[in-house]
Formats: sequence, C-alpha cells, structure tokens
Amino acid sequence: MLPHRSRLSVLVFLLPPLALYVIAVLFPILQSLVLSFFQWDGITDMEFVGIDNYIRMLTRDDIFWKAFGNALVYLAVCLFFQLGVSLFVANLLTYVGRGKEVVKTLLLLPAIISTVAISFLFQEIYSFEPSGLINQILEFVGLGNLATPWLSNVDTVLVAVSAPEGWRFLGLYMLILYAAILAVPKELEEAARLDGASSWRVFTEIRFPYIRPVWITTMIMATTYSLRGFDIPYLLTNGGPGQSSELLTTYMFKTAFRSTDFGYASTISVFIVVECIVAVGLIFLLLRRRSDVTS
Amino acid sequence: MKHKKRLAIAGVAMAATLTLIGCGTPAGPSQEGEIVGREISWLLSRPADGGIITVVKEIADEYAETHPGFALNLVTTPDRPSYLQKLETLAAADQLPEFFDTDATPFTRKLVDQGKLVDVEALLKDLDIYDDFRPLALDYQRFDDGSLYMVPFEFEMEFFWYNTALFEQAGVTVPETLDDFADLCGPLRDAGVIPFALDGQDGWPLARYMSYQPFRLAGPDYLNELKRAEVELSDEVGTHASEWLAELGSSGCFAEGFSSQGYTDARDLFTSGQAAVYQIGTWELAALTSPDLPEGVKGNIDFFTLPTVEGAVTADNDYTVVSGIGMGISQKAFDPLVEDFLKFLLSEYSDRIVETGHMSPIAGSDVVIPEGASELYARALAEVDNLGDETAFPWDTQLDPTTNSRLQQDLVLLVQGEITPEQFTKTIDATLAENAPKFFD
Repeated sequence: MLPHRSRLSVLVFLLPPLALYVIAVLFPILQSLVLSFFQWDGITDMEFVGIDNYIRMLTRDDIFWKAFGNALVYLAVCLFFQLGVSLFVANLLTYVGRGKEVVKTLLLLPAIISTVAISFLFQEIYSFEPSGLINQILEFVGLGNLATPWLSNVDTVLVAVSAPEGWRFLGLYMLILYAAILAVPKELEEAARLDGASSWRVFTEIRFPYIRPVWITTMIMATTYSLRGFDIPYLLTNGGPGQSSELLTTYMFKTAFRSTDFGYASTISVFIVVECIVAVGLIFLLLRRRSDVTS
Repeated sequence: MKHKKRLAIAGVAMAATLTLIGCGTPAGPSQEGEIVGREISWLLSRPADGGIITVVKEIADEYAETHPGFALNLVTTPDRPSYLQKLETLAAADQLPEFFDTDATPFTRKLVDQGKLVDVEALLKDLDIYDDFRPLALDYQRFDDGSLYMVPFEFEMEFFWYNTALFEQAGVTVPETLDDFADLCGPLRDAGVIPFALDGQDGWPLARYMSYQPFRLAGPDYLNELKRAEVELSDEVGTHASEWLAELGSSGCFAEGFSSQGYTDARDLFTSGQAAVYQIGTWELAALTSPDLPEGVKGNIDFFTLPTVEGAVTADNDYTVVSGIGMGISQKAFDPLVEDFLKFLLSEYSDRIVETGHMSPIAGSDVVIPEGASELYARALAEVDNLGDETAFPWDTQLDPTTNSRLQQDLVLLVQGEITPEQFTKTIDATLAENAPKFFD
C-alpha cells in the first residue's frame, strides 16, 4: 500500500498521459472497430452492414491479399536492414578506432531527412531513362544487361520501394544496438579472448546473448513501424505498377480517401491493428521460448 | 517527449474526428439582400502560377477596390489526389468553402443530391451569361442527367502531336484509324525513337487511350452504361479496346518504364525529340510551339485529331474536348456577395484569359498568340471551329472512384503484358459489379 502522498503523485503523473492515450489511441481504434461494421462515404447516412466488410476483405478482395503479401515482403526487407545490417555495422563499429563518430553521423543522417526528399532521391537512383545511379553502376561493371526500370518492373518494384525505408532507419537502430554492445562487460570479452575465442565466438556467445533484450525491443519497434510503413511506397510508386507495391496501409488510405469508403477502410485498419498485435505476440513467444531452451 | 508525442497524436485525432462529424442541413440560396464585404475562399486544384489563378486574382483585386472588406482567398493544391482528399474531408464536415474545384464525378453527384451545391445552370441563366458559354464547355461539366452544377474556366481540345521529321525518318505516315497505331511502333522503334510519350504515373493519360475505341465504336452512351454496370467491359467493344491496348504495349509503343514516368517526363520526351507522338491538350501549346525547342523538333511538330475506326458511330470531329476541372459553389455559403462577385468575375474573365494564350469557355474573345510561338499555335486553336457535337468524356471523371483506381492500375499491367485482356476486363467487371451500385443506385 502506497502512502497517501505517493498515491496522489501516481495519480497526478499517470492519469493525464493515460487519459491522452485513451483519447488518442484507444478511442480511435474502437471508433474504427465500430465503423468497420458500416458502409459510409463520409457524406450520406451510415448504413449498418454487419460483418459484410470483413467477408468482402477476406473472401472477395484480391487487392487486400496482394497488399498483405506485399506488406510481409516489405517487412522482411526492412528487418533485414534494420536488424541484420544494423547489428552487423554496430558490431563492426566497436572495432573501429578513428572516424567512428563520422560513420555514426553519416548513417544516422537519412533518419532526419524528409521522406519526400528521400523519395525524390530514390526516384533518380532507380531511374532507367535517363539511366539512374544503379543502372549506371551496373553498366560500368559490365552488368548492363541487368539494368531495368526498377520501379516499373513488377518483379523488382516491391524490394525497390522497401529498401529506402530499411536504409533510412538503419542508423537509428544501429545506434541503439551499438549502445547495447558497449554495455557488455569488457572483462567477459577479455576473458573469452584470453581463452582463444574468435571474434565470431565472442559475438555469438557473449555479445549477442547479452544484448538480446535490447534486440527484442528493437525488433518490436522495427516490426511495428514497418507494418505501418506508408510514405515512401506511396510517394515512389503509389502502389503501382498495378498493385505490385501496394501495402495494406496505402490500400487503406486509398480506400478511405479516394474511394471514400470509410467503413471498408476501417475494416482494413482493424486488420492492421490485429496484425501488429499478433506480430508482437509472435516475437515474444518465439524469442522467449528460445531463451527458455538456451538457459 | 512521450507526452508531447501523445499530445500531438491526440490533436490530430481530435481534428480528424471533428472534421468527420456529420453534415448539417443546407440553407437555400439567398440571392436577395445587401452585399456585405467579407473574405471568401476558393479551394482550387490548378497550377499556382497558371493563367487562371493570375487572372482571377487580378479581377478579385479590382472587385475589392469597390467593395470594402472583400477579399478572395485562393487556396490551391495542384496535386489532384491530395486536393480530392482535402475536398472530401471538408465536405464530410460540411465545411465547404464558397467556391471549390470539382469534376462531375459520382462523389460530386452525392453532394448535389444532398443539396450542397448551387444549381449553376439556373444561376448562369439568372446572370444572363448562360448562352455566352460554348455548349461543349458546359456539357463537359454536366452530370449525365444533363444537370449543371460547375462553372468551367477552361476550354481545351486534346490532340495527338507528332514529330514530322521522326515520322519521315521512320517512313511512317499519320494513322488513318486507331487500329493503325500499332503499325507505327515497329518502324519508329527501328529508327531508335520511342513511339508514344506517355505519363504512366498519373493514370489518367492511359485511361484516355482506354476511352478511345469505345467512344468510336459505341458512342458516348457506352461509358454511361458501363459505369452503372449495365454493360460489361468484357463485351465486344470493351474486349476490342483492351486487346488494342495490349497490342500497343506488346508492339513497344510506350517507353520502357513508362509507369514511373510523370507528366513532365512524358512532355520532355516529346519536346526533346526522343518520342514521336504525344497525346495532350491544347493547354500545352506554349511548350509545343516554344521558340526554345531544340533544333530537329522546332518547326517539325504537327498534330492529328482522334483517328476513327472501322464502323465508327461518332464523327471524325468528335473527340476529347475538356473544360477542365469545374468550380462548384457551396449552397450554404451562397449569398448576395458571392453572386455579385461571380457576376463580375465572369463578365471580366473571358477577355483576360485569352490574353494568356488560352481559350475561354465563353465564346467571343480571340486568343492572343504568345510572342515567338510558331504558326502551329493558331492552326491548332482554329480547330475549335470544326468541332462536332459529341465529346469523348474522360473515364476518370465518370467511373466510381474504386473502379477508376482499379482501372488505372490494371491498365498499366495490361500494357506491360502482365495480365491478358481477358483478365483485365474480368477484373474491371467484377470491380464495377461491387462498387457501381454504391454510387449509381
């Protein structure tokens, strides 16, 4: 039992953010949930349609399933950069003596550049006619036959729109993981090295197990952000060509604001919420089980 | 930091909620009473530095001199999807400004049915200016029941512009029918030229191509029936149109990677002499007749109108003629000031817009040809005297928004050869069956 003054402090400090959370997060989610059972175009009366929107989404809407598949690929590409490459770079940085700060700053830079600027940048990089950076490099190294309009080719466009998002926040996650690696007790590593452990073993046996909680948090952050990814694909290709780079988020946005089908868009948004919750649950489940096995 | 973020989110959420709160009852038009100066707004989707905004601003300033307190606030969002999003949100909140740009889309029809727009036909007749408008300019703004709720501010014809030197080089001539288009592409490709410049990013230019065959083969009614799902795109007409587009794609008629090329990319391909044909309206005349065009292009641009087809039901001089996005007038905000300003605006507009080198939707004022422009400028505009009575309506203003999006997306796949004409028509028919009833019941 908390003393009276402490209880008051808890109330004073916790209630306002809790109230804001309810108003700003829970309430809109609940509102979306309610709206998902209606057909509504924003101007005429709402019409209750029961679970028809859900039936439509799950059984009659091929774009939805295409967008869902695309969202998973988008997630995979983002996680590759934000968890894989960033961990590799963070680990590498601990061995670098000079220029560490410069590398960190350079890698962090894209995170503070506006999305629109990044989109323009990649539009040029991927360009085919006139030849953009990637196609020029391919030409230069003699792989000109691989040159393709990256954003118009249905086989390459999805990875092409996902990579900028992964690259953009690589620096941020790298910094978090780098900080975690720095906190690994030096004496443990030194002892291991004295016993003849290689850098790889130091990483797998000492560093990674030590930073696992941070890595899980990073994974949850990266996963939920990626599942909600919207701006770069929307700006680069607007989901095209066809639906080749359509994500659930861009599809939801178009359904709401182009088709003025707010009810159905809410149904998709409910699905995105559920998808995020399931993803976080799965991460916890899998990683906890694995740590149970290893401990 | 967290609190700040939450506050921001709460702010956005509350704003969104407030804007989404239902609609009120529209007030009747109040044309009687005293004119009281106040600020009025026009939400536009036109180029910020374009002729229309410049001319309107000029006229509004003059009106303000004699009407103290009056000001016209012009808010433009040239990017159409962003604009429509703003418009829809404001409409949902019943906060439409005095004037706002919109096409005769199914969404606007809903606003009309809710009594939110002023009847423009009645208003123009009241102002005694109705008969001065070019009939095609008004027809473009009409809903398919003939009612008119938008004022046009443009009048443009759409042509196929072509580079005579490149045609000669490839040994091809102007196609006589639409079905001859694909035959152009092989020789032009062999000559190292992109046959047709196309802005694939925006969706509407390719949808124009989709509209041509049905317009020629079945007339303007086809679209009216199609959008209601009364005919199927998988019928003979729709199938022919889809196969024609697929053939254009497989014949290499469009640039590789056209789907990520934007409006100016396509124009630049043509004006730099890399592409041989460019479909666009007379609004681009200044760029097409500019004295700054590179050698090899300058003096080599000519045009042809929409070719016919075998068994065509529309005349050769019927093709796409547009009067641009129209201006709707909010019924709720309509008062003597708005009416009086509109009267002044329309009486002054025509003589001034022609000075910018553009045609006016109001007949009677001759366009002032920009200095240095080639003879093509006047020759192209002279086509206005040869126009027929029918217009090939752009499909993007007529179809329900969901079908429209799907059509534009899948057209790219059709032309790129990712889907067959059969798959294409089947998908569009299914989308129409699902969505058309929501707008046209």
